[in-house]
Amino acid sequence: MPLSTFMGLETTLRGILAQQLAINVTGHNIANANTVGYTRQTALLAPTDAYSEPGVSRPPQAGQLGTGVDVTSYTRMRDGFLDIQYRAQAMKQGLASATKDGLTQVQDALAEPSDHGLNSLLQQYWSSWQDVSNAPENLATRQSLAQNAASLADGFNALGSQLSTIQSQTGQNVLSTIDQVNSIGGRIAQLNDAIMKDTVTGDHPNDLLDQRDLLIDQLSQLGNISVTATTYGQVDVSIGGASLVSGATASTLAESNMTSLTSGKLAGLITLRDTTIPGYQSQLDTVASTLITATNAQHALGYDLNGNAGGTFFTGTSASTIAIDPALISNPALIAASGNGNVGNADNALSLANIRNQALVGASTIDTAYSQLVTQIGSDTQQAQRDTDTANLLTGSIDDRRQSVSGVSLDEEMTNLVKFQRGYQASARAMSAMDEMIDQLISRTGKVGL
Amino acid sequence: MRITQNMLSRNLLSDLQGDMDKLSATQQKLSSGKELTQPSDDPFGTSRALQYRADLAQNQQYQRNVDEANSWQSVTDTALSKISDSLLRVRDLVVQGANDTSGQSARSDIAAEITQLIDSIKAEGNTQYAGRYVFAGSATTTQPYQMGASDTYSGNAEVMKREIGPNVRIDLNQTGITVLGDTNSGLLKTLRTVVADLQANNGAALQNTDLKAIDTAVDTISNAQAVNGASQNRLQTAGTRLQELEQTATQLLSNVEDADMAKTMVDFSTQQAVYQSALRAGAQIIQPSLMDFLASR
Repeated sequence: MPLSTFMGLETTLRGILAQQLAINVTGHNIANANTVGYTRQTALLAPTDAYSEPGVSRPPQAGQLGTGVDVTSYTRMRDGFLDIQYRAQAMKQGLASATKDGLTQVQDALAEPSDHGLNSLLQQYWSSWQDVSNAPENLATRQSLAQNAASLADGFNALGSQLSTIQSQTGQNVLSTIDQVNSIGGRIAQLNDAIMKDTVTGDHPNDLLDQRDLLIDQLSQLGNISVTATTYGQVDVSIGGASLVSGATASTLAESNMTSLTSGKLAGLITLRDTTIPGYQSQLDTVASTLITATNAQHALGYDLNGNAGGTFFTGTSASTIAIDPALISNPALIAASGNGNVGNADNALSLANIRNQALVGASTIDTAYSQLVTQIGSDTQQAQRDTDTANLLTGSIDDRRQSVSGVSLDEEMTNLVKFQRGYQASARAMSAMDEMIDQLISRTGKVGL
Repeated sequence: MRITQNMLSRNLLSDLQGDMDKLSATQQKLSSGKELTQPSDDPFGTSRALQYRADLAQNQQYQRNVDEANSWQSVTDTALSKISDSLLRVRDLVVQGANDTSGQSARSDIAAEITQLIDSIKAEGNTQYAGRYVFAGSATTTQPYQMGASDTYSGNAEVMKREIGPNVRIDLNQTGITVLGDTNSGLLKTLRTVVADLQANNGAALQNTDLKAIDTAVDTISNAQAVNGASQNRLQTAGTRLQELEQTATQLLSNVEDADMAKTMVDFSTQQAVYQSALRAGAQIIQPSLMDFLASR
């Protein structure tokens, strides 16, 4: 069977070109070794179609002759199943770390256990009543009681307003996170468009797919998402039950659209804002209002230094409004320490001091109710910290597995570089051999006897 | 599993950060001396710490109450002793005056001295502690007795209470009306009768009723001293008990809140060693790659 003289040259040329393309891919991998979200690519090499002469009466010969190699595609080395696992964990991580951040702030606001938390202020306040009971005639001890009561009220106010501040900051954080969701949604839609245009022409837009996967990873931190692949390599993304991206169109979502947020940063923030912090506030308010009611009721039963019945001690109804009646600060003689109007009698002061021992908040005293609030915030925070640690560990380990498939290994790339370079050199050497053979044919053949 | 350079460096970095995290927590324990710096370190421990802190504050307050009551009763005790001394002098004088050998003039002199002693007894009845009249009942800002002929008691009969433990209250004061009486009753009335009898040269009354009445008055004062002393004893016992409780509560609080320095120090050294070896290993693992060993051309 006649073969073209130059066929061998073509075969080796294919080898040279294919090795070169593979080296280019290696170069691309090395260049992106540190690019976040990059998936390593490989040039898939496959033999080109073998040469065989078609025909019924083709001459007998040894099978088909190979014609060299070609790059059939550049493939992303990525495992979609690991992506699903990673995103599921990332949602939990987003939830846990948002909760942890918020609760840590709440916990810092408590400043417990310390010598200047609300617990200490309560102790100082109760002790002041005892001090007054030791010297009810003494205006200085009464003044000190009034000041300590004012400090206690300030302590309640400060904690109440810090909780409100944290709550409103969390609300703002929700808004900016939703902005982030919408911005990511817009970029995913743009990438969908570009990917669709490339895919219809039969291309594999690997780098665009990487960018889109990275954006979806980021989005999964923010809320519970679901990703559905549609036609031409596009994906539809919904978050919290609301469709965010559909093909090349992105919706601008508001909080009210996401009706079933169960995970991710947004769910964490919204729970903090709507449930957790208001829960703490109402517990703190209960402590404050119980103190106000019980103190005022008992105070009214007593008599001040002038023998008149006691008036209001605390004004306000909640942690943020509690204050000592200003009249008592300017004239501490009006504090009703006496139980019968005699100046040396301090029965009412003792009764007021003993409010601390009464089970007024459910089955708890005022001190215990506050300490329960602190314990609850403490264990909630501890739980959130543990959840965050676990989620970090799990996302880390799944990301390791993902990197194990998709990450660029420089050792591997260097090995590939050596391999393809040698392949290139060998193909070139084979081409030289062909060349020498043709040289033999052209320059030497037929020169007999010259 | 295929391992890439980025995985190595990421793992190394997160391990180093974990080590640093532990080191910083341990360092904070060492520098603050506290095991518990935030409720989330140990929520249950925090609730106990808050409880112990409240117990301690209450205990210290009760100790202040005990000290305060003790000072009050010491002052009372001194005054009662002086009253008792004056009364014994009065008794000697009455015994002397009751003697039939004493004439009218001698009895008048004795009456004059007893009148002086009445004033000094009333002066003791006006004893103050920290600006408060201790024998005036709960009318502590009112001087109970006026010097001179009038024996009217201006205080009241209220016995004040001090709290020295949860719902444990003791009687604080002896009232003037029970100890000294006034124009109509008690010690002062007895003394005025004695003076009148002396001036009236009424030997029979002096011998029969007055001496007996003075003995009763002496008994009343002794009784008041005994009650006051018993109360002081009780205060002392309560004070000692409160100090012991304070030590226990401080110990408990320290167990919950304070760091175990020896253990923390050992932890710190261990963590430091781990951190350093992680750094050393990291420096050696991360650096070389295949490129270092491929011949360069």
